[in-house]
Amino acid sequence: MTMTKTAAVAVALATAPGLPTVFTTGFISRIGAVSAQRNHFYMTGSMGLALSLGTGIALSSGRTTLVVDGDGSLLMNPVGLIMAGARQDLPLIQLVLDDGVYDSTGGQCSPGRSVDLPAWARACGFSRTHTVDSEEGLEKTLRSELENLGAPVFVHCLVTADTTPPPPRVTDHLEGITARFSEFLQPQT
Amino acid sequence: MPHETGTERPTSSESAVYEGLTANGFGPFFGTPCGVLAPLLSLLETGADYHVVAREDNAVGVAAGASLAGAAPVVLMQNSGFGQSVNALASLVVPYRIPMLLVVSMRGTPPDTTTENLPMGRLTEPVLEGLGIDYEYLTGEGAARQMELAGSVVKEKRQPFAFLIRPDEFAWKA
Repeated sequence: MTMTKTAAVAVALATAPGLPTVFTTGFISRIGAVSAQRNHFYMTGSMGLALSLGTGIALSSGRTTLVVDGDGSLLMNPVGLIMAGARQDLPLIQLVLDDGVYDSTGGQCSPGRSVDLPAWARACGFSRTHTVDSEEGLEKTLRSELENLGAPVFVHCLVTADTTPPPPRVTDHLEGITARFSEFLQPQT
Repeated sequence: MPHETGTERPTSSESAVYEGLTANGFGPFFGTPCGVLAPLLSLLETGADYHVVAREDNAVGVAAGASLAGAAPVVLMQNSGFGQSVNALASLVVPYRIPMLLVVSMRGTPPDTTTENLPMGRLTEPVLEGLGIDYEYLTGEGAARQMELAGSVVKEKRQPFAFLIRPDEFAWKA
């Protein structure tokens, strides 16, 4: 069974709607930005820092935060796993969409074929790791973890690169993303 | 003028900086250890919401998240780590206008003559200027006033700001 990256993003957003959500650099941000939600942060640059950004959001807001990362991004900078994995009280789901390629730069193979990403997460302290390869599996895993999130969760999601052209680039008005997302995160009074 | 008696010690530079940071509502603090900053990091470790981060650009990333959630975070690093963080600042903090305070120790500037730090010692200020991040050298004497200024830049103007720390500002010796 296979699922495309776009299908995986759709399942994640439908299963975990309204959470503060960080999308990593490249097509994942573009796919997320189609829906342009106020609870979304599209991180168009700083490849590799999506998990660190999500960690800061979860740490300071106390809200369950979803990070939609990619295999290339995590391979570029896995250091974020160290801080997230060390905090058993961190309300965070790290969803890694692994298509094995750098889709947004032309589909070059990533050097991660021999890397066991969930094992990296476990080695850094993540006690809850999963590997899924279908829309049903992803939905079931997210739903059950969200019901009772007791520790940071790592979901390794095997996907195929999309065959349809990617959505357009995320807006150039990046300050606007910050303003909208910060407002969304403001404590309700 | 502060006076010394047998029991009172003059306020140290790191204490003045620590007081200034906490008095102006800064925090949480994210730091990657540095010998120059060590006295200040010790104070933060015991008295503040301080987190050690293994790599400086990740510290910038976590601080960016805290800032989006409404905090006024501080990232403490050596300028070697500032070099490591240039892309995080250039493609996240600056274009998204995410306010935070950077405290950067200036290895490779007098009296630090260690060869491996000299190029970054020369580069730190020009890179900050290229990024458009305002900065000042921080001193213990000026800390109270300087931290107030930094507070207004970060919390009211919603811009990043950097303090540079001379190698001998605290207790470091070449």
